Amino acid sequence: MLFYLMHTPAGEFKLSPFPELDKLFQESEQTGMPPFRILIPGIPLAYLEPIFARVSARIGTRAGLETEGFILKIIAKEDALQKFDWKWQNLEQQDLEQMRGNENLSLERSAGDDLADSLSGRQLTDDELSVLAAGIGLNADMLWRQAHILVRAGLGEWVPAVRRGSKGWYCERCGESELEEWPGLYGTSFTCPSCRSLGASSSMKVIYRDLRASAGKFRKIRIGRVGVEQFSSLFPGLRLTAAQEQAAREVLEFARSARERESLLWAACGAGKTEVCFPAAEWALAQGQAVLFAAPRQDVVHDVAPRLQQAFPDISIPVLSGASTAKFGSGQLVLATTHQVLRFYRAFDLIFLDELDAFPYRGSRMLQWGINQALRPGGKILFLSATPDSAIRQRLGKAGRIIRLPARHHRRPLPVPQWIKITEARVESALRENLAALRRRGPVIFFVPKISWVKLWTERLKGLFSSWSISGSYSSDPERQEKLIRLRQGGFDLFVATTILERGVTVEGVQVAVMAADHPVFDERTLVQMAGRAGRTRAHPEGEVVFFAARATKAMKTAVDWIHEQNELARSAGLLD
Amino acid sequence: MVKASAIIDISLSFMRSVWYESKEKCVLCGGEDGAVCPACFHEYFQPELARCQACGKLIPKDFTHCRDCREHRGPQALTRVLAWGHYSGHWREFIHRFKYQAQPTLIEKIARPLAEWAEAQLPPPDGLVAVPMHDSRLAERGFNQAEVIASALHWELGIPLLSGLKRVLPTRSQAALTRQERLHNLSGGFEVIEGKEISGRVIWLIDDVTTTGATLEACAQALHLAEVKEIYGLCLAAGKEA
Repeated sequence: MLFYLMHTPAGEFKLSPFPELDKLFQESEQTGMPPFRILIPGIPLAYLEPIFARVSARIGTRAGLETEGFILKIIAKEDALQKFDWKWQNLEQQDLEQMRGNENLSLERSAGDDLADSLSGRQLTDDELSVLAAGIGLNADMLWRQAHILVRAGLGEWVPAVRRGSKGWYCERCGESELEEWPGLYGTSFTCPSCRSLGASSSMKVIYRDLRASAGKFRKIRIGRVGVEQFSSLFPGLRLTAAQEQAAREVLEFARSARERESLLWAACGAGKTEVCFPAAEWALAQGQAVLFAAPRQDVVHDVAPRLQQAFPDISIPVLSGASTAKFGSGQLVLATTHQVLRFYRAFDLIFLDELDAFPYRGSRMLQWGINQALRPGGKILFLSATPDSAIRQRLGKAGRIIRLPARHHRRPLPVPQWIKITEARVESALRENLAALRRRGPVIFFVPKISWVKLWTERLKGLFSSWSISGSYSSDPERQEKLIRLRQGGFDLFVATTILERGVTVEGVQVAVMAADHPVFDERTLVQMAGRAGRTRAHPEGEVVFFAARATKAMKTAVDWIHEQNELARSAGLLD
Repeated sequence: MVKASAIIDISLSFMRSVWYESKEKCVLCGGEDGAVCPACFHEYFQPELARCQACGKLIPKDFTHCRDCREHRGPQALTRVLAWGHYSGHWREFIHRFKYQAQPTLIEKIARPLAEWAEAQLPPPDGLVAVPMHDSRLAERGFNQAEVIASALHWELGIPLLSGLKRVLPTRSQAALTRQERLHNLSGGFEVIEGKEISGRVIWLIDDVTTTGATLEACAQALHLAEVKEIYGLCLAAGKEA
């Protein structure tokens, strides 16, 4: 999308991708004014904006035509822009008539409103607008124009997708400042490598950023007495345990607090932390607030989706992930992967951010940027984690509150991992013995540290246990979804997996083995999460966890300590039988 | 205490990044065996197949021309046209990322093998000419993908880049047209504005993808009017005839 510098009859200088549209609005407001002038050619906003910034401070001090000349002088000093044939010209009547003759351009409010609604609270690139337009059967140009009408009304803004800031170029969508550089038509050009999976963000592209959600409020959804006490009756089929109720009450308190902005829900693996957030979400919706549940992985999002929909049956909940077709839905209650959150702008009052320490969120500046942009000013974030890192525990330990949920609903302690020492010479005998013992208790998930090991170990274990049904999967496996479904149905004796399965996935009666638990890719959090797959269900509350390793690493010891600590906390709070 | 744990965190994540990134990944499929893995190389570049002499598409070994070109429906004004790979699957996705996702630097990943292959297949030229793009499309994209390919070959092989060929009429995008419309759509769309660099020269005419060869043909006709000696077409990808 190309932008033009306009010189309006009112003497103002402005940037616009559709100057003819701006003229059309102006026409209807005023007549008999000086000509409407534009500077051609149009260029991407990222390159026009800095020029505009340099002249805008001095515009007021000069007469209009003098300013036009001044702008040409500034441009003539830019090496990369000299090659164009710059000139000011009147935006002619025939341009306008061409516009009016275009039957697709409807400026009537009724037609525009539905379109405009689909943009509420979003920030989308021009390419994404095209995809959104195609999805609702429109041509892209029409949606772009609709977006520009919102910008004109002060309800949205255009920003370069990659923009020149005071400290250099950065991506407006994800905040990345380490960009790919390439020589382009307008000088050095930049493409963002970090948020590429959402489609290109570059200095050629522009983002429409909607500002309405940050101003208005949604209608109140459900009025009624809301509190933890009513929770069971509000959500039939879902019963909170004593531990969950206690945590849910605290989460609700946090949501209602005028002072608190951030909090942490530190829960044992499999303790049902998602459900603990429902009363607070209910309360926020009833206040007319917008609520987001976000998790870093698609698996977790698709796992949570049916539970959330069951809890809020009257609300249509868009589920946004790389795998779902509806990527541009919006609403008062949204479930999304953290990547998709990059497409929102100041849209939510309350964000529940699941698995905050999980790859790829942990340490990722990009997704932190995204969450902060998606949050309305004054909004709140609740981080949900089974394994919060020390930085967030310390930060929230001092400034906010940490809500604990140490016990599972079946009131049994978390399984404590057992270390089985292996040496190269006796790997097979150790496996034969211990895996057979695990299998007698239930199906086994066999975690390996590297993708390339999956196939290797699948074959090796098939050799060891020829009568077993054995398979394996990793994150980019094309058959992963089908295999996971079969795994959940108990269709395998043993399943080899990388850490993709470590979080959020529940398999009835599953036992856990971690191969090479001393491998450096396994930190204490990953180990706790893998161990947390075992013993999750009421029918099988006592799974076993085995770490196969040549030595006991610090991470392994810390993981065991953490699990002990959760169990102690739960026991002293009377949450275990 | 805090600092020590932070340092450990950093060194661990460094160790992990080394562990995961130490192997070069295939730019097409993301697998772990080299810049273009053997499986992708075989799947998309199919060195065992011949190329149609007239339009460049991949054809069975024993043929010199594809069916269309045997019936003279292909380009006539070029000595030969060569397409490197089959426009499908991961190779097609690669070209899309390169062209539509603002990643012109991707060309660096394949410049070496492309140059080696082109050098082995075609006689050495005096210079390279990129198929020009119309101004309005160039203005939006910020780069001409054919120029980027030509520039990569220039760096790899030291062959000069020659200018002078321009697109003069805005043409409709080829993608939505039938074969017949494509040939018509482009005729007369190109012109040599300044011919002294190219007249009397042997050139490689570079584009990203060719289907019917219509774009190359239109360029070649304009180049012949400027008395270019010989024209060889070179593209990243084309279709395949079963």
